[in-house]
Amino acid sequence: MYRSFLSRRYLTARLINLIGIGGVFVAVGALVLIVSIMSGFLEESRRAVRGSLADLLVLPRHESGNPASAEPLLEAIRADGRVAGSAAELVWAGQISQPGRQFQRVYSSPIAGGATLVQLVGIDVPDEFSASELLPALSGERPLSYPVADPLDPFAPPRDYAPRGRPKASVVVGEELLRSLDLAPHDEIQITTGVPDPATGDFKPNNRTFVIAGSFRSGENETDLSRIYLDRRELADFLGGTLEFSQVLIKLEDYERDGLALRDDLRQDLAHKGLIADVDEVRTWEELKRNLLGAISNERVLMMIMLSLVLLVAGFTIFAILSMMVTEKRRDIGILCALGATPTGVLELFVRIALWDSVIGSFFGACLGTWAALRLDAIERWLSRVLGVEIFDRQVYLFDHIPTIVEPLFVLAFVVSAILVAVLFSVLPAWRASRLDPVQALRYE
Amino acid sequence: MESPRPTLLSAPAPLAAASAVPPVLRARGIQRAFQISDRSLEILHGIDLELRPGELVALVGASGAGKSTLLHVLGLLDRPTHGSVEIEGVDGWSEPVAQRALLRNRTIGFVFQFYHLLPELDALENALLPAMIAESAWSYRGKKREYVERARGILERFGLSHRLEHRPGQLSGGEKQRVALARALLLDPKILLADEPTGNLDRANGEAVLKLLFEEQKRRGLAMILVTHDERLAERCQRILVMEDGRIRAERVGTAS
Repeated sequence: MYRSFLSRRYLTARLINLIGIGGVFVAVGALVLIVSIMSGFLEESRRAVRGSLADLLVLPRHESGNPASAEPLLEAIRADGRVAGSAAELVWAGQISQPGRQFQRVYSSPIAGGATLVQLVGIDVPDEFSASELLPALSGERPLSYPVADPLDPFAPPRDYAPRGRPKASVVVGEELLRSLDLAPHDEIQITTGVPDPATGDFKPNNRTFVIAGSFRSGENETDLSRIYLDRRELADFLGGTLEFSQVLIKLEDYERDGLALRDDLRQDLAHKGLIADVDEVRTWEELKRNLLGAISNERVLMMIMLSLVLLVAGFTIFAILSMMVTEKRRDIGILCALGATPTGVLELFVRIALWDSVIGSFFGACLGTWAALRLDAIERWLSRVLGVEIFDRQVYLFDHIPTIVEPLFVLAFVVSAILVAVLFSVLPAWRASRLDPVQALRYE
Repeated sequence: MESPRPTLLSAPAPLAAASAVPPVLRARGIQRAFQISDRSLEILHGIDLELRPGELVALVGASGAGKSTLLHVLGLLDRPTHGSVEIEGVDGWSEPVAQRALLRNRTIGFVFQFYHLLPELDALENALLPAMIAESAWSYRGKKREYVERARGILERFGLSHRLEHRPGQLSGGEKQRVALARALLLDPKILLADEPTGNLDRANGEAVLKLLFEEQKRRGLAMILVTHDERLAERCQRILVMEDGRIRAERVGTAS
């Protein structure tokens, strides 16, 4: 009984314990907060790595004899009830320029001058809406600078379009690209690309003029800075009709639940029907980005290991405080032994003090860290205002808030680790206390 | 080194009747040496001692004679180099640590010159400490009321009813020693070992503490060893053992016999 009673009494009576509690409090609070921020940033990175990738992708190798038309593939894929939507895309590369730009301007500043490499993505509008996030990108959570006239029909000519000569096909350009090139709807752009010649296998240059119908914003900087959407048939025609599609996007009802199973089933089914030559042609988005995702995951583990060193610092604080208490309480230890306490009991008494320090410190640390992570934006704004310094530059990170994710399992792990570390570091001073000669301890003044 | 001849002590004539009662404490051939560098410094040179229930024995001698060391050995706090200490027939120093601690907790009460109260606990809590050590958290919870009543009763009898929630720092020397005595008596020990219990008190307070000590010893039939420098105090005991150079050189009968 005396172990729990005295450990609590020493805890409240000896103010030095506040330092131990404070050490664990700061360590756990900082860990929870920093790891929550890190998880938020890593999740953003993961989202950025995923980009506009669908849940599953079929990437047929056309040279291996797969059908040129996407229809059989789409038909087979849509037959599965787990599929929420699918769409064929034709992806190609090109360079855009604006007719009439001066050579000198292009030469001195290729991007501002309008000689920019872009990704051309040919889509079938209704299908694309079912399989990707294009519709919200056209509608825009935040108002777009140059919205298309009708998001449901993005390739309709811009309002009041008065073409010079023959009407041009419409394209939808990434918001950032549009802004960087100082372009606007109704502007005409010239796209130059290399078109494969099926007879010779060589690339032949080709160019075509399009009209800008409006912009989209996916929220991924790279996509918004380099992608141009246009009708798939238009792009196929621009490329000489040699290719109809280059990939099929598949959106699942529940990716977490069905992703891997559906991938395996599609591999088997499509290969059986002769629609793909190799099972590798059906992949999840995570498989496509395996290296980058692995790097992100490694980064998280490395950061957590490094940050865990903070717990060691808290452990050393506990060690120092307990060593001091053992010296200070030598006489008490002698008294307890005279009254019948065992060395094990004395050891347990001091370990319990460390346990209380760590339990209280880590509990309040976890609460503070969680609270701070959940209210980080408000805290950051308040701090920035008080200090007169912009702590988080929202322009640099391309998101308007500090991303945080509080993961309860991590919080629990930090609390448990802090308690374990504190107990571990308390064992040596507690063991010293238990080894004290009671007679010597009684003589100690 | 020549082994000194143990001093054999038998009960003096006035206590002959009591000798029929088995001793509650029996020490045989107690030697205690301390290792200082490569030298062995012998403090106790083979002491035999028997203590029967209700016996009040004074241990006198000059400073450094080995009185406190002997008391610590008898109280199972300091392991002798040679010899045995039997408490109610159990050889305390042959027992495992936990059993020895239990024996000390249940059968021996200590009173020290410097009171040795825990400064973070109040008077009542200090008095309850032996019970807290004796019981697990679970069993203490069940018996707490009984222990508290017992401790409160002793402290009230000692005139401390108004000091129960006072910490040692708020008590006078005499009050502290009365709390220490209450603590020593809480579990009804068979043996009371008092090391200069009035050595740190003025005459009036010392006398008040002694009065309580002797009253409780008599009332409870305690076997008690009282270490003191004060010959007049020693005379008030039944037996007086005179220590010199780690040996009991003489034994006298006190007035209490």
